[in-house]
Formats: sequence, C-alpha cells, structure tokens
Amino acid sequence: MEFSESVQRGLKSLADPSSFDRRCYQVLVDVSFRSLLSSQADPSVLEQPELKQIDQILLKQSHTAATTFILEAVKQNADKSTISSCLEELSFSADRIEIFYSTHQEHRKELERLLASIGRCPPHIHDASWCLQYHVKNDQVDKINEPFYLISLNTEKERSSEDINFTCTVEQLQDLVGKLKDAAKSVERASQM
Amino acid sequence: MLLVLSEEHKEHLSFLQRVDSAVVGEFGRIALEFLRRGSSPKIYEGAARKLCVPVETVQHGVEGLMYLMTESSKHMISKVDFLDSVLVLGFGEELNLILLQLYLQNHSEIRSILSQLPSNLPAYHNLEWRLDVQLASRAIRQQVIPVLTMRLLLTGGSDSPGELSRRVLQTDPGTLLHLISTLEGALAAIKTNHARRIFRNIK
Repeated sequence: MEFSESVQRGLKSLADPSSFDRRCYQVLVDVSFRSLLSSQADPSVLEQPELKQIDQILLKQSHTAATTFILEAVKQNADKSTISSCLEELSFSADRIEIFYSTHQEHRKELERLLASIGRCPPHIHDASWCLQYHVKNDQVDKINEPFYLISLNTEKERSSEDINFTCTVEQLQDLVGKLKDAAKSVERASQM
Repeated sequence: MLLVLSEEHKEHLSFLQRVDSAVVGEFGRIALEFLRRGSSPKIYEGAARKLCVPVETVQHGVEGLMYLMTESSKHMISKVDFLDSVLVLGFGEELNLILLQLYLQNHSEIRSILSQLPSNLPAYHNLEWRLDVQLASRAIRQQVIPVLTMRLLLTGGSDSPGELSRRVLQTDPGTLLHLISTLEGALAAIKTNHARRIFRNIK
C-alpha cells in the first residue's frame, strides 16, 4: 500500500507517543473508524475531551491520515502482515499496531459493505408482486374471457425505488419463470465449480 | 344478439344495393385493407371514377361496411343474428349472403386486429439474462459478488405502442430464488377451484 507524503507525516505523528499518548491514540483510532461509518458527516467528531490537549491542526492531519489508511486497507483487503509491516515502517510500536488492527477487524465487514455500495449499477430487483385477473371485455372487443397476470417488479437504484409493471398471459409467465429457473440452475452449477 | 344500425349507417350501406356483387366483394376487400393498413384517398377516387359516383359515396360505403364487420366481430354474433341484423337494410338474398361470407371469413382476423388496440399497459415480450461475478470496483478490490443481469423486453405502453422497450435490471442469487418461488405461486393460482369456477361461469 502506498501513501502520499502528507498521509505518511500524519501517520508518523499518530505513532509518536509525545504527540499522542496511549489514551489519546486509542480514542483517535476509534473516532477515525466511527467517522467513516456514520451516515452523516459530524463536524464535532474530533471534539472528544481526551483530544482537547492536542494541537488541533496536528489532530486534523492525523485524523485524515488515519481515515485514508483505513480506507486503503479495506479497499485492498490487506491482511494482518501487510498492515503491520506498513505501520512498522511508519514507526508504530507493536502495541499501537495491535490496537489499530483489532479495531480494524471489528469494523472491517461494515466498511467493506459501505465501499461495495458505492458505484453505478442497473436498478436492482428486490421483490415481485402479482395479481391474477380475468379479462372479460374492453371497449374494442367483447367476450374476451381470458385470464392474465399483472406483474410488478420492485427495483431500487441508489436509494430511489421504481416499480416496473407489465401484463402477461399464462404462457408468457411460464416462459419468464422457465428462464429464471435456467438462470438459477446456472448459478448453482457455477457455485459448484 | 342483434346489431342496431343507425339511420346514417343504413344510408351509407344502401349504396351497396346499386352495384353488382363483384363490386361489393371489392369493397369488402378495401374495407379489410383499411382495418389492416389504413385507407388512402386514391383508392376511393379510382373506384368512384369507375362507378361514376361521387368519392364520398364510395368512402361511406366502404366505411359502413367496415363498421358492420367490426361491430359483428366485436360481439362475435352468430350467423343467424348477423342475417337478422342485415335484414333491416332491405337487401336482396344474394347480397346478404355475400356480407355473411365476408363476416365469417374474416371475423377472427378482425378480432385479433381489434384486440391489439387497447394496450395501455406494457406487456411481457422476453427476458434475456447473464450471470456475472463482480471482482472489483473503483471503491473496493478483491470482491466475489455474483450478479444476475437481465434485459426485460416489453411491448406497448401508452407512449410507444407496437415498439419494444428494453430495461436493464440486475439481481442477486438469493432474490432470484425468491422471485422464482413468488411467480410459481402466481402460476399455481390459476389451477385453483376458485379460478376454474370463475372461468366456467363468466362467458
């Protein structure tokens, strides 16, 4: 993992016991992880009582460096040895590396999910609903007397949802279900490879 | 069920009495082409010149004939009812039989043309699918996420009848299984006693 000069500087300060004593270090590590996971940006995130003694500019630089490091580690799916050797090079003590790594393990899955949700993709189908109706007649043709289905696919894209509605005859629904079953069979086969 | 023809309609059709049966057959053909593809003034002008009558008369005759055919097909009226309905027009036996033939030969085609008209809801046409595995994105590497991407093709809809609209959608394997079981439930609904009773009794 590679980091810019300013991130490296910020991390080196974080490693330095004269800038951050053990207690402040733990607090800043916790705050850094939590600030990434909270759904809204909180301007008072660094206003912890333990962090008040520290020079505020240094605090911000270290916080930025820490969050950058965390995101890169999750993005690259870095393992313990990669993280440890990276932090070692930046003069982190074994103790501090351990604190960082255990907090990382605690929040890793959630961060992965967060990063995976960023990006563009087609609308995602979450559910389908249906109703069966009997078409008796309409204004153009009398005596139709045929059953048909109204299908509604509930899709979501980037937090806005849309329903896709369409009609189909019994044969068409059988065709649709047949194709979905083919897809499911191929998923099963692929998972066994 | 008997058709009730308006005075205006009867007047338009009365023209058919004055021409011979070949012409009536020809008008029938024009009327059906009208239903299939629309009409053009040139056809009416040509016929009007040959018969030495005003274009309007020809047009009304054809339209009257077309309306007679669509109304009869719409209600699926029986042979007997059709003949009784045209009796009102006071035509001869031969003309009545020509009209009946026209109806019997074309009523299913006319019904299928009519039933294509009122599609204000999109209808299923086809579903294409592919299975992919997402390996990485800009935000995160080393993923293994199975994705089912689909293209749903739908016809109609009020803004583009007769044209196919394409929607690209995706889902995951878990939701796919849920969709399959939900839609199989839909197919099972048709086989219930309740559904069968309704189908039998509404005619």
